[in-house]
Amino acid sequence: MYNKLKPYIMLTPVLAVISSVFISGLVMGFLQSLGHFSVIGMKQFTFKYYKEVFMDRGFLESLKFSLYISFVSSVTAVIAGALLAYSILQNKHNKGIEQLLYKLPVIVPHSVAALLAYNMLAQSGIASRILYHMGIINAQTDFPSLVFDKNGAGILFAYLWKEIPFVAMVVYAIWRNMNDQLSEAALNLGANKRQVFWHVLLPLAMPTIASTFIIIFAFSFGAFEIPYLLGPTAPKTLPVKAYIEYTNPDLTHRPYTMAINMILTLISLFLLWLYNKAFQLISKYNHESRT
Amino acid sequence: MGKNMVFKIIFNIFLLLLIFPLFIILLWSFTKIWPWPDLFPKAFGLRGFQYLLNPSNNSLRILGLSIWLSTVVMFIAILISIPAAKALGLYHFKGKGFIKTLILAPIVVPTVAVTMGIHVSFISVGLANTFWGVVIVHLIPCIPYSVRILTDVFEIMGNSMELQARILGANKMQTFFYVTLPMLAPGLITAGSMVFIVSFSQYFLTFLIGGGKIVTFSMVMFPFIQSGDRMMASVYSMVFIWTTLLILISVERIVKSYYKGENYFYL
Repeated sequence: MYNKLKPYIMLTPVLAVISSVFISGLVMGFLQSLGHFSVIGMKQFTFKYYKEVFMDRGFLESLKFSLYISFVSSVTAVIAGALLAYSILQNKHNKGIEQLLYKLPVIVPHSVAALLAYNMLAQSGIASRILYHMGIINAQTDFPSLVFDKNGAGILFAYLWKEIPFVAMVVYAIWRNMNDQLSEAALNLGANKRQVFWHVLLPLAMPTIASTFIIIFAFSFGAFEIPYLLGPTAPKTLPVKAYIEYTNPDLTHRPYTMAINMILTLISLFLLWLYNKAFQLISKYNHESRT
Repeated sequence: MGKNMVFKIIFNIFLLLLIFPLFIILLWSFTKIWPWPDLFPKAFGLRGFQYLLNPSNNSLRILGLSIWLSTVVMFIAILISIPAAKALGLYHFKGKGFIKTLILAPIVVPTVAVTMGIHVSFISVGLANTFWGVVIVHLIPCIPYSVRILTDVFEIMGNSMELQARILGANKMQTFFYVTLPMLAPGLITAGSMVFIVSFSQYFLTFLIGGGKIVTFSMVMFPFIQSGDRMMASVYSMVFIWTTLLILISVERIVKSYYKGENYFYL
């Protein structure tokens, strides 16, 4: 009996923290989004706040903007990251550079990544100075505004700066640990490097690339700092919008805020489910390649 | 040969894009005047560092508090993650898949939503605006990393060594301290470093749950970045990055001085 319970006992401390903060945070948020907010005496259960949220054009704009930022940054990060991983594979580098690629983007927080983007892309930033010296622009104002802009260029830059090396290291780890026999066999059978890449390396890394895509998509979708620091006044990304609604001093406005949060959560839970599917695919893959 | 050259160039472009922006903030942190469109600062100065070192601005005290807070988070996270990771890495039991997903969930589910949801409860139990309240919420984004990294280590390690020790007559305590922990050491370095980084760079969680009473270095840094004060923002960013690096090196040194393990880095 004890042996059966043992793993659960070992998991208890972690699960206690997760359920008392994470799960209960989500449950409290959900109850409030239904209009049940006992602290100020609201005791109803209704979906009207969700309806209100979906009728709000500002919300739909925010949702669109968030999806756009996450989609563009994640797709670009995955493609560029795989390219970077392949070029690391093609050149032997010393471990120091690999470690640098590994660690720098992890150590630099999102707020500093935002500063990097601001320094590079603002009208007074480095890019505009370089263009001036090349004679392409004549004044600061000739440079397009790439931060606080509606296309989110600054936000995309900051995310890509952090995500490309991350994707590259994950994909590179797969290729480095993979059996060389497969690509060598292909080469021996007359495949050229391009064919090895498209028919051997890429398919092997695909499940990992897919799950990495989901992780960075979900992360950028729910992150606050970068769009808060570099985003336009309108539209705002969903987490930023949720925070601004939260600061509304009228507490009866709270259910509306929480409804936004719950939609945000629901989308990310859907992504988590997708991630699990991708993960099952990976283990199936590994299993098949072993047998 | 020509193809390899192409990939070498691609690699170096990426490297440049990664490092160049950091080099620019290094320059900015020592800048006195750097007007547009100059490519290089007109004059250098240490005003930013003087401001940071000035005791009346409290920046160093806040830096110390942040390091202390994230260290506490690191210890608690590692302490509770070791048994959890062992359970997930070595045991088969009902609901394992679900629990794994649940533990991973805080990476994916926006902290914004969770924090706003729990805020009222934290206020009512008196945890809001306190050191321990902030420590507890910081555990949420940290646990997924520590549990995952250590689970991988347990999976690779297996339990044959522990069983041998037990068979040879070691008791549970001895097995843990002389067998499990040394084997776990490289994983502890990675997991500990990761938890420290995640906790140290938290902005939103600290801001909301700390309520302005618990102020961390990430929070003092934020307004400088927000206002576009490049010189000050760069000074604080540099100090932030160097502090993190220093802590990571110390974590590695300390763990290694106890357990002379191999030099590898799981992630």
